[in-house]
Amino acid sequence: MKPRRAGWRITACLAAAVGGFPCASPLSALEWPLDEPRPAATFGTPARGRLLSGLLLAADAGLVRSIGDGELVYHRDGGSSTDVSPFPSTLGSFAIVEHERGIAALYAGLAPGSVSSYLNKTRAESILGGVGSSGWIEGRGLFLALFDRPAARWVNPLLLLPALPDRTPPLIRSAALVREGKSYALGETKSLPQGEYLVALDLFDPLDASWSVGTSAPYYVRLVVDGAKVAELRYDVLLAREGRLVLFPEAAVDRASYLLPDGRAALTRLFFRRGRAVIEALVRDYAGNERKTSWSVLVE
Amino acid sequence: MEESGKRRFAAIMLAVAGLAYFFLAARPLSKALVLEPRWAHALDAAPALAAPTAAGAPSATKTQSALRLDFGAGSGIPYRIAGRYGYFDPESGPVFAAPEGFGVALSPGAYIAYDRLPESLELRAPDGTVAQRIAEPGYPFFAAGRLFLLAPGQCAVSELDSDGRVLWSRGFSSVITAFSASPALAVFGLMDGQIVGIGRGGEELLAFSPGGSRIAGIYGCAVSADGSLVAAISGIDRQRLVVLERRSSAYRVTYHRWLESDFRRSVAMAFTEDGRYLFYEAPTGLGIYNCDARREALLAAEPLSSLGAYAPERDLLLALERGQATTRLVAASPEGRRLYTAPFAAADAFLVRRGDALFLGVAESADSASILRLDFKEE
Repeated sequence: MKPRRAGWRITACLAAAVGGFPCASPLSALEWPLDEPRPAATFGTPARGRLLSGLLLAADAGLVRSIGDGELVYHRDGGSSTDVSPFPSTLGSFAIVEHERGIAALYAGLAPGSVSSYLNKTRAESILGGVGSSGWIEGRGLFLALFDRPAARWVNPLLLLPALPDRTPPLIRSAALVREGKSYALGETKSLPQGEYLVALDLFDPLDASWSVGTSAPYYVRLVVDGAKVAELRYDVLLAREGRLVLFPEAAVDRASYLLPDGRAALTRLFFRRGRAVIEALVRDYAGNERKTSWSVLVE
Repeated sequence: MEESGKRRFAAIMLAVAGLAYFFLAARPLSKALVLEPRWAHALDAAPALAAPTAAGAPSATKTQSALRLDFGAGSGIPYRIAGRYGYFDPESGPVFAAPEGFGVALSPGAYIAYDRLPESLELRAPDGTVAQRIAEPGYPFFAAGRLFLLAPGQCAVSELDSDGRVLWSRGFSSVITAFSASPALAVFGLMDGQIVGIGRGGEELLAFSPGGSRIAGIYGCAVSADGSLVAAISGIDRQRLVVLERRSSAYRVTYHRWLESDFRRSVAMAFTEDGRYLFYEAPTGLGIYNCDARREALLAAEPLSSLGAYAPERDLLLALERGQATTRLVAASPEGRRLYTAPFAAADAFLVRRGDALFLGVAESADSASILRLDFKEE
């Protein structure tokens, strides 16, 4: 992969993300850190103990390279005698590289003792370390996350990295309306009482990796009820608000309010009035693959 | 004759005065401070009783769910050296030595050994008894008699009580790169250059971004035991030492200095227990900040194994210096004057002080480690 420098592209993509529309054709200002990147979990995926603020990439071995020109600003290496931190590292051995326009890239889970701590300035494709499984990373590979310093938020790396081949649309494995602990499965339930319900979808973006974590999040979800858009969520940024890490800044959804105990995503809370309700869900991955499903239910 | 009598009288008086001075103004010579060996024990000889694995309780391990632990209190002193951990008794030596697995969090009153991806954590008393099982995901660590849990992703932390219940949780804007705690304040340094201080109840007591450097970041932080002082090393190009002091309701910068250092990793720094000095890692030794005089000094040294220990009653700083082939025990004044150096062969070492007793862990290799007690003695 040849490095391509285009700072304005980063800015354009970030602006696009802020503006609320995906970059239809990803502009590759940066390059992938692995020769054969295979996502094992996507941005915003609810994994044990956190919402993923980046991508988990599966790899058995190989080198981790800088995604662009930059500067190594922090490193921690469990195999180094200079590791003086009084607290542990759930990121294992890791490096943070500052790229153009205030984008800081986090490369975590590196092989202990492999971090190129001697680096100062990095070039695109500079070797930062070896693939590993250090810290809280569920398989062998790399955790890559991009922090947008000016906006103080994590950005979905797929917004800035070259597109990966992906022809498999995400799945809507089930949908339900939930109230007072009772779940009415859409497609099976013919009628239900009037009232306020939580709309819960079991969404899954199939990935081609040797291991995976949790239920991989798609990139975009839209929910339409009786022709009116009631929810539209993009898995593009994650930020801290009032001491919580939240997805979808408009809705400020943290892990606890986003995820039901059985793993389904709680999209929105809605009051269903008497009559027939038609619910349509559209889910899309970052490559643009879509799946659309609709259900009809009688509200009594 | 009269003249010679006067002279004799003067000579006698001079002699009497000299004798009087000798007896009346005599002061004892100052005593030399020496370190007297008290005991030394090889870790190989230490009981392995509590060698509990992180994965689960061995059959020999007791479980006592009603046991309530005080993390900060305990008769034993925890240690980690050469891939082993355990406790030693100040009077009698090692209590046990267990092989360190992926990780271990140690405090005087409790410990947790854990795997890389633990399903649950076992909070144990120093005798190996399991007091609680903690289901929350993350890596544990103790500080200032408190138990914290660092969440996967390193952007969130919780504090737990002795029952394993979450007291508070906090998500941060970016990766945590520095940490320090006192009994009342936990301070977190972040990759994005913020310092955030959290109180006992999870409330935010401090939020500060030092700024001024080309690239923001917190590389080290420290909080004094009473929580009144907070210090940090921040930024790249240039790096900066900042000291904040609590004034009525808020923390204010009371000292700052641009540093020559260019650390791109975590930097060790800590206040002394009495809050008189701040010690911090410097490229050419140990930086010493006198909090009362707001004055700095440097103990020139090779890289230090740790910040060492400070003996306030003797106004003596003790540290371990990592040389090319040897490790050196260094005693110095807080003004940075080196007073004593004792080299010894060690691949890994630790230093702990309790009153006038100094405990030195020495490991020449992974198979050969021992703990020595040395007592300060005046001769």
